[in-house]
Order: sequence, then structure tokens, then C-alpha cells
Amino acid sequence: MSLEKPQIIAHIQKSLNYTVFDSQWIPCSAKFVCMGNFARGSGVLQIYEIQHGELQLVREIEKAKPIKCGTFGATSLQQRHLATGDFDGSLNVWNLEVPESPVYSVKAHKEIINSIDGVGGLGIGDGAPEIVTGSRDGTVKVWDSRQKDTPVVNMEPMEGETKRDCWTVAFGHAFNDQDRCVCAGYDNGDIKLFDLRNMSLRWETNIKNGVCSVEFDRKDINMNKLVATSLEGKFHVFDMRTQHPTKGFASVSEKAHKSTIWQVRHLPQNRDIFMTAGGAGNLHLWKYEYPAQRTKKGADDVDMGVAGSVNLLQNVTLSTQPISSLDWSPDKQGLCVCSSFDQSVRVLIVTKLNTV
Amino acid sequence: MTDRHPSIAPPLSNHRHVVATSVYVSLRRESEMPLIVKDHTWTQNQNTVYISVPLKGVKPASVHVTCTDEYLKVSFPPFLFEVFLFGSINEERSEARIGNGVAVFTLQKRRDESWEQLFTNIDKDKQKQIREQAVLKVQQKEAEKSKAKAARIQQEKKYALETMMKLENKERDRIQKMKDEECARATAELDFWRETQRKTAEEKENQQKTRGTGPQDNQPVNQKTVTLMRNTGDTTSGQRSRKQTAKDLPAPRSAGCIQISFTPRVFPTALRESRVPEEEEWLKKQAEARRAVDTDLAELDDLREDERNPDWLKEKGDKLFMSGNYQAAVNAYNLAIKLNRKIPALFSNRAACHLKLRNLHKAIEDSSQALELLKPAVAANASARLKAHVRRGTAFCELELYVEGLQDYQAALEIDPHNAALRADSDKICEIIQGTT
Repeated sequence: MSLEKPQIIAHIQKSLNYTVFDSQWIPCSAKFVCMGNFARGSGVLQIYEIQHGELQLVREIEKAKPIKCGTFGATSLQQRHLATGDFDGSLNVWNLEVPESPVYSVKAHKEIINSIDGVGGLGIGDGAPEIVTGSRDGTVKVWDSRQKDTPVVNMEPMEGETKRDCWTVAFGHAFNDQDRCVCAGYDNGDIKLFDLRNMSLRWETNIKNGVCSVEFDRKDINMNKLVATSLEGKFHVFDMRTQHPTKGFASVSEKAHKSTIWQVRHLPQNRDIFMTAGGAGNLHLWKYEYPAQRTKKGADDVDMGVAGSVNLLQNVTLSTQPISSLDWSPDKQGLCVCSSFDQSVRVLIVTKLNTV
Repeated sequence: MTDRHPSIAPPLSNHRHVVATSVYVSLRRESEMPLIVKDHTWTQNQNTVYISVPLKGVKPASVHVTCTDEYLKVSFPPFLFEVFLFGSINEERSEARIGNGVAVFTLQKRRDESWEQLFTNIDKDKQKQIREQAVLKVQQKEAEKSKAKAARIQQEKKYALETMMKLENKERDRIQKMKDEECARATAELDFWRETQRKTAEEKENQQKTRGTGPQDNQPVNQKTVTLMRNTGDTTSGQRSRKQTAKDLPAPRSAGCIQISFTPRVFPTALRESRVPEEEEWLKKQAEARRAVDTDLAELDDLREDERNPDWLKEKGDKLFMSGNYQAAVNAYNLAIKLNRKIPALFSNRAACHLKLRNLHKAIEDSSQALELLKPAVAANASARLKAHVRRGTAFCELELYVEGLQDYQAALEIDPHNAALRADSDKICEIIQGTT
């Protein structure tokens, strides 16, 4: 008899001497980057490589300001430049071979950049590579590394509006050169979907609790699903294929973790499987099942979407502190790295994902 | 002595206490002397003595045998048979058979000899001694036996527990092994994948070296796009489709700005910050206050309709206050309060009037009353509370109760930390306090 459910195995665990906020795989390699800040208040980037069941520190780079988040999403596979947002509101794009000065740098926001995402790089999707940043100053800005100093799109509160912190941003709907969408989640529970082709707000909703993380299941297809996680242990899965003029998108919500769900990440190799990371140091692996009919006719004969259901495949508790970041390896199915607030980073292997 | 008996018989030297009747009987018998049995028979050969004692109709279950190496006692109430043996016997190897109306004892002699008689003649004291010894011995044996039994039970329990633990451990180990196997397999795959990564990376490097540098950028400078050259032999983990030709990237997006607004709430805080229960309470209180009208006052009969409306009266009072006619304002507020005791603004404004009229105690009372009505403390009634605190603080200070005044000013500062005038005032009070102490 062998274990049939996918198992989440903590393959390697390493204790670090700094607070780590984010960890990202370097594409096409067995290395990943950890970002955080030292106790002395300076930022740090560390590159680790997996060798023989252990993590070897390849490089350590110290920077002036603590680094909150990073992405490889907008860079080409040859260059593999890392775009980071720091506590000061600066967006920097680094060449990790030559990290002394950034390839691109701009003071993007007045306050800390909470979240960053990139699209158009790594051979995924069409269109220009762009980076989106969301900050505590309530604005969401889209940057192109070919344009200095000013963002290509700026989503800001209207005059006189009290600003709410933007906690998370994600790109999606980038299936051709022109189309692109940015989804932003705010601390008062607002989720806003911006269409960059029409330069307008396409949809917004409020899920009552602050939105910690949003992610589309795939960036480079016609928007299919969006998962939004929030405080108090709830997450919502929206079916993005059918938009009703008044009701918006259909959704299913699930309560799990009993604490803040810090992060959601979809498996690059299967867009219906995603993992959520919780404030109690646990990880839940979920699978989304589509309903029999994805659309149905509403009362006024207008199509509306039908949400499916979510099944819990596996869960594991790794630590007592929140797991703040999670990243699947795009090259090896089931390999992922997660970092948590107990100053440690873990490499996990999730087995049996191909039979789920 | 082993006991072989066709029907139920108590094992030898077993103090099994019997049913009430026998106890009763034995009690009765102990007050009387038991009947001594004398019609026993005995035979012997070289190494064994056979004694046969008739049971005289007593049930085998009530037969009680006590036997030591020199003494045999058979007690079956109301009869008693005892014999002080001529020679010593081996008690362990001797047998008793009780049944068919007779008890047959097969005693193994210690020394193979022929006994002249069954009894020995010993004096009373010796007899008594031997009897006591016998009883003791039997007790001892009993104790030992029960101890042995307890020990055996303990042993068995321990064994059971150990086996259980072993089984559970085995189960756990099995599961752990499965997990480890999975882990090892996954690690092996990982290493293998890493190796392939490395090899392809090396290959790519070598190929790039042999090709020399790629074609120079001949794109217009302001575009700054980079041509991507892909090696045709590149098969790096082909999970995504590769573009084989050089790609031109579209121009940067023309700048755009999207203005957004945030979801309004009755109270402008996110759910986690809102103190919803308190806020609801405050809203309810306000609604109630508006409704409460105390109408059973005789004096109201000669009032105009307007003058029965607390809101109208409040406005009148406000206007009178603005124009400096504080006493009249107080009257208006008095009447309004008579109509509706639940509106905090009335008390607060009356406090301000009293302050102007230098009725300091009344001012303090009224602002305290206002603050009472302004519970629970929420964002919506912050400014009202601020005013009440300031008025009360001022009144205290005028009365030279500076410490109480300072408390109120500090409460006010908590509500509105950015008010410079407040801060200046509270600093002044601090100084006065420190000056006088």
C-alpha cells in the first residue's frame, strides 16, 4: 500500500539570521533568492543552491533598504533580472551577477511597496514586459523598464479620497500583445480589476476583510480563475470567464487555516491546483473542480458565471510562525520554496501531483 | 498437596470462605466444641500412608483441609478430624481426594519406614504449638500464592502492553518508511533534474562560445529592445513553447491614469478596525434618544407646539448662546432636557452656557452627564466628546482643581492629538500644577 494523496515533504530547512519576506526561484536553475532585512535595518538578497540535499549559499548581497518583495516575471530567460520592491518605495531591477548597481531603478512610491508582479518575461505570454507594484500609499503603478522615472499606468485614489493600503497586486489576462489586466487587493477588502487596454476599472468588489494575496491561475491566458485570500482565514475563488454587468464574477469561498491566509500560489504545471499559506505556519493544497456548466442564464436572461468547488488535497504544519511567501518552481513540478517569519526558509517537495 | 476431585472441591490450603449458613454454622460451632471424628481408618506401606475419613453426610464443598509436614487437620463442620502424625511427611507430594462421602488422604512419608501408629503422643502445649505453626504456615503459603498470582498478572499485563507498543511502533515505522521512500525518490529526481540543468547550461555556454558574440543591436536607440537569440538545440525542460525567432517587443504603453475610489462604509474603517458592536450600539442609542419624549408634564400644556420639540428648543438655545444671552439659553436647554433627557448635545451646550455664566459646578455636572450619554466611545461621537471634555476641563481649572482639569484635557488630547491649542492649554496646566507642588 502506498500513500495516495499528494504528500508535502519538507525536504530542506534552513535557519537564517535575518527576517525573510520573500523567496523566488531563479528560472531554469536549482537556485532561489531570499529577500529580507537584517536586524540592523539593511536589506539583503541571498542566493541559495540545492546541492545534495542541502542549501549552499552562493551569494549574499546587502542593500541599504530592506527588501519586501521580488519577481522574475518581467525578465527574459537569458537575463534573469530580479525586480524588487523595498521598504522605501523604490523599485529596482537587479542583475544578480553584477548586483552593485541596479539595471533599472526608480522611486516608485512614497511608502513601502507591499507587492510586486511581472508579466511578459520568461517566455510566458505576449506583449511588453511590465512590472506592477502596489504600495501602502494606496497607489498601484505599472512600470516598463524602457521608460525611466514615470510609470506607464498609475492607479491612484481620487482627489480627497482617504487612501487604503494596497496589499497585493497580480497580472493576468495577458493573452496577446494588447490585452492585460491588473488585479489589486486592498486592506479594507476591496478587490479591483483594471483593464490596461481600455485604461479603465473593469470590476470591483469588497470581501469585507483585508485582501492579503491575489493571483490569477495563469497570467498568459484569457482570465480563467482568480483566487483572493484574506484575513480571518477566508479565501475566494472567482470564475473570471463570465462577467455579469451587475453581479460581477461568480465565486466560491472557503474558510481554512483559522488565521490570516498570507499567500496563494498556483502550480505552474496545473492551473487548478493551488497552495495557500497560513498564519499558523500551515500549508493547504487545494484542487478546484469546475461545475458541470460554467455559465447559466440569470433572471434577466443575461449570462452569469457558476462557481465550482474546492477540495482540500493535503495540509501540513511546518512552523508556528506565519508562512509569508511561497513559490513553485517553474521547472520541476512539485518543488517549491517557502519562507516564514521564524527566520527560516524551507524547500518542499509535493509528490503525486501528476495523478491528482 | 495436589487435589484431584471429581466434583467441585476447594483446593488444599485454600481459605475459601463459604456461604452465610456455613459461616453461621461455624460461628455457632466455634462457641461449641466441634465433634471430633474418631472413626477414620488408615493403612500404610513403606512410603505412603493412606488415611480415610468419612464425611458423615457433609458436602465436599464445606470440607477444609489444613496440612503441614507433621499435622493434618480436616474440618467439616460440625466435625473435626486432626492428627499429629507419627512421622513427617512431604506435604507437597501428598494428595487429598474428597468425594463419595469420604476424604482419602495419600501422604508421602519423608522417610521410608513403617509407622507403628498414626498419632504421636505429645502433650497439650506441643499440640497447641503445632496447630499454631500449621495455621501460620498455611497463611504464609496463601500469601505467597496470591503474591505469585499478582506478579504473574502484572507480568502478563506488561507483556501485553509491550506487544501493543511494538505493533504500534511497527505501524509508525512503516508509514515513516513510506514517507522516507517518497522523500528519497523525490530527492533523487531532484538531483537528476539538477544534473540535467547543469549539463544543458554547460552545453549552452559551449555553444555560445563557439558561435561568438550574437549579432549587434541594430534597433533604433530609443526603443532599447533586446533581440533574443535562441539556440536551436535548446531543450531545457520543455514545459513551455519556445519562440525560435528573434522577437520585437511592442513599444512601452502610452501613459495612462486610472482614478479609483474605495468602498464607502458608514464608518470609514475596514472590518478589522471597526468596532462594529459599539458602533451599532451608538447608532441605536441615537435613534432612541430621538424618540424618547417625556410628555407627562403638566407645565407642557401651556406650551406652543414648537416649544415641545427638543430639537427646536436646542436650536433656540444655540442661537441665544451665540447672541450672548446665556441665561435664556440655559432656560431653553432646561426645557428641552425636561422633554428629552437622552440628548447629549443639550447637556453639553448647557454646560457651555454655565461656563460662561461662571456656574462652574453646574457646568461640570452637565458635561459629566453629556459624557455619560456619549458612551460607547466611537469615532462618530468623537467631536462631541472632545467638546465635553474641554468644557469640563476648563471648569475644573477655573475652580483651581487643576489635576482633574488636566485629566480632562488629556482625554481630549487622546481624541484629537493634533490640536495645538489643546496641547498648549494642557502644557500650561502641567506647569501650574508643578509650580504649586
